[in-house]
Amino acid sequence: MFSEETVKKSKELKQEWETKVTRKYREIKPAQTLSGLPINPVYTPDDIAHIDFQEIGIPGAYPYTRGIYPLHYQYQPWMMQQIHGYGLPEDTRQRMDLLKKGGMEGYFGNLVYNLVLDHPSQCGIDCDDPRAHGLVGVCGMSFSSLRDMEILVEGLDLDKCNMSLITGDTCYYLLPAFIVAAEERGTPRDKLRGNSMNWPLKGFCMPNPVFPPRSGLKLMVQLIRFCTKEMPTWNTTNFISYLAREAGANPVQELAFIMQWAIATIQACVDAGLDVDAIAPRFGFQISLGMHFFEDIAKIRALRRMYSKILKDRFGATNPKAFYARMHVHTSGGAYTAQQPMNNIARGAILALAAAMAGTNSMNVCAYDEALGIPTEESHLLTLRTQQIVLHETDVTCVGDPLAGSYYLEDLTDKIEKAANELIDRMDEMGGFVEAVEKGWLQGLIAEESYRANEEIRKGERIHVGVNRYQVEEEPKPVFRVESDTEKKAVERLKKLKKERDREEVRKKLDQVRAIAREDGEDLIPAIIEATRTYCSQQEVMDILKEEYGWRHMKNC
Amino acid sequence: MKTAEHPLRILMTRMDCDGHDRGARYVARKMLDSGMEVVFTPFSLPAEVVHTAIQEDVDLIGLSFLTGAHLVIVPEIMRIMDEQTKARIPVLVGGIIPPQDISSLKQAGVLAVFPSGSSVDDIVRFVRENVRKR
Repeated sequence: MFSEETVKKSKELKQEWETKVTRKYREIKPAQTLSGLPINPVYTPDDIAHIDFQEIGIPGAYPYTRGIYPLHYQYQPWMMQQIHGYGLPEDTRQRMDLLKKGGMEGYFGNLVYNLVLDHPSQCGIDCDDPRAHGLVGVCGMSFSSLRDMEILVEGLDLDKCNMSLITGDTCYYLLPAFIVAAEERGTPRDKLRGNSMNWPLKGFCMPNPVFPPRSGLKLMVQLIRFCTKEMPTWNTTNFISYLAREAGANPVQELAFIMQWAIATIQACVDAGLDVDAIAPRFGFQISLGMHFFEDIAKIRALRRMYSKILKDRFGATNPKAFYARMHVHTSGGAYTAQQPMNNIARGAILALAAAMAGTNSMNVCAYDEALGIPTEESHLLTLRTQQIVLHETDVTCVGDPLAGSYYLEDLTDKIEKAANELIDRMDEMGGFVEAVEKGWLQGLIAEESYRANEEIRKGERIHVGVNRYQVEEEPKPVFRVESDTEKKAVERLKKLKKERDREEVRKKLDQVRAIAREDGEDLIPAIIEATRTYCSQQEVMDILKEEYGWRHMKNC
Repeated sequence: MKTAEHPLRILMTRMDCDGHDRGARYVARKMLDSGMEVVFTPFSLPAEVVHTAIQEDVDLIGLSFLTGAHLVIVPEIMRIMDEQTKARIPVLVGGIIPPQDISSLKQAGVLAVFPSGSSVDDIVRFVRENVRKR
């Protein structure tokens, strides 16, 4: 990348520097990134002389290291997508309206929402099931049927919204419910914008998988096939590396795992006869951004580069939009501490700045009190203000990929790509992502890495402010609580609904869902949409999918 | 069958639909490292905790929560335990527990609460010093 003369001079300069340093600071220990990559105390041109300039390139051109658009924040800020969801749908809606009033905006000033369901709903369990007791609406919005969705979107202009629907294994009911609620409001499905998670492969890093990976892939293909045909502006699939990272994976592992997850998904779609150029433009990523500032930024740059190469080299994609690794950065919850929670405001600001400098398309900054519970109104608005301060006051948005060309960052981006590719190769040798998960190999790596990181904090080798240094006695801070009668109200609502609906119609439509699911027939999602219209509940559909695609069929799938 | 020399035996558990177990796994591993035995399994209903604890003949139950359901679930576990056992098996609670909830949990009969950020060494030491083989 530099002339021989420059490299020679740079080496000489570094030699002089080293002589000085060795004389004066002999005892300084070499540093490492979180992934264990070496960090030099200073970088010079010779460190990146071997990198082909075209690997770095220019924003908006292959291999997209520097961003997927030629102009990004100079033209259009990132989407502010603060996650929200608690209590009943009307409670969540109140918070959505508050965030909207606070300036939460998507591309071109459109409304954006980032809805998260409560734990039972994410597992396909209705609020009236005994397993949901104590959990209803506590850590996300209670959701059991189309009725809940109707209440949530009441009065919203859904053709002007971008609605991200966060639930992993139950999106096969949640998306149909959203479609029906939108159609009832006069917005056809082909006008809907937003995102399904389509996450059944997450089981390797979250301990509660609903579906085994092979049949999970079948469901993913079902949703992708349906949306590609009927919902051209809907983002079908979210490759989430956030979960692996928060479970303990380091940035290099996070990158390798999510690339293999993407490869497995795309391969399953291609095997099912789908066209990579048609499906890939509606895929996206959800990335964790932790306090390891440069390594996390380098990871995101490497991700964009690696993904576009995979689409080109492995899958022969030709549609430029198929190469785009569009991403949502969710700042690391694990970076936050319950001790001295106000310190998390400082962490959130650093993380938001890093996300902007990495060129994310969408951002969620965790609220400072999330280590204690879900955010209060005040802390929720503060996350939005954090984003707005970075956007409007720092000028980091004036230049695309502003850290490009930094000797350190380019070297790190290159090293991360190489290290992640080594892991990708190892997984290829095993047979791919699904095999690596089925063998437990991937889970083992995460467990070991998580243990190692926790041990570093326990031994004081890594400082976590307020946890293993600068501890103080504290008074409890107020935390947000959902209304104590939430569960009762949700259950009453569902019971009433079940009494009022046409039972015969519900049974007929559910039978159709089962018949198609049994054969993994192509019309599964349309059948669920028709069932959803009859106000069958989420669990009624999910129980069928669990029986037909679940662990019972492990040997055959 | 346990013998007199048998190490302390602990049930470490969390709610099945809670996807977070990093903290619980770490504590479990440190307990293993210090010579204790750990049964690590999730639960869907409070009764399952008691059932598993009896079946596995444990000396201690460790409950990990991120869900915010601790104030509902823990008292139910204690109530079912009172119905089904002669003497309560000691219970520790950890995870995302707001400090103001600690006294309610203790009132419900929890031996100690170790919220997020607690030192794992403190937890293991506490178990060594306060939990006896049954």
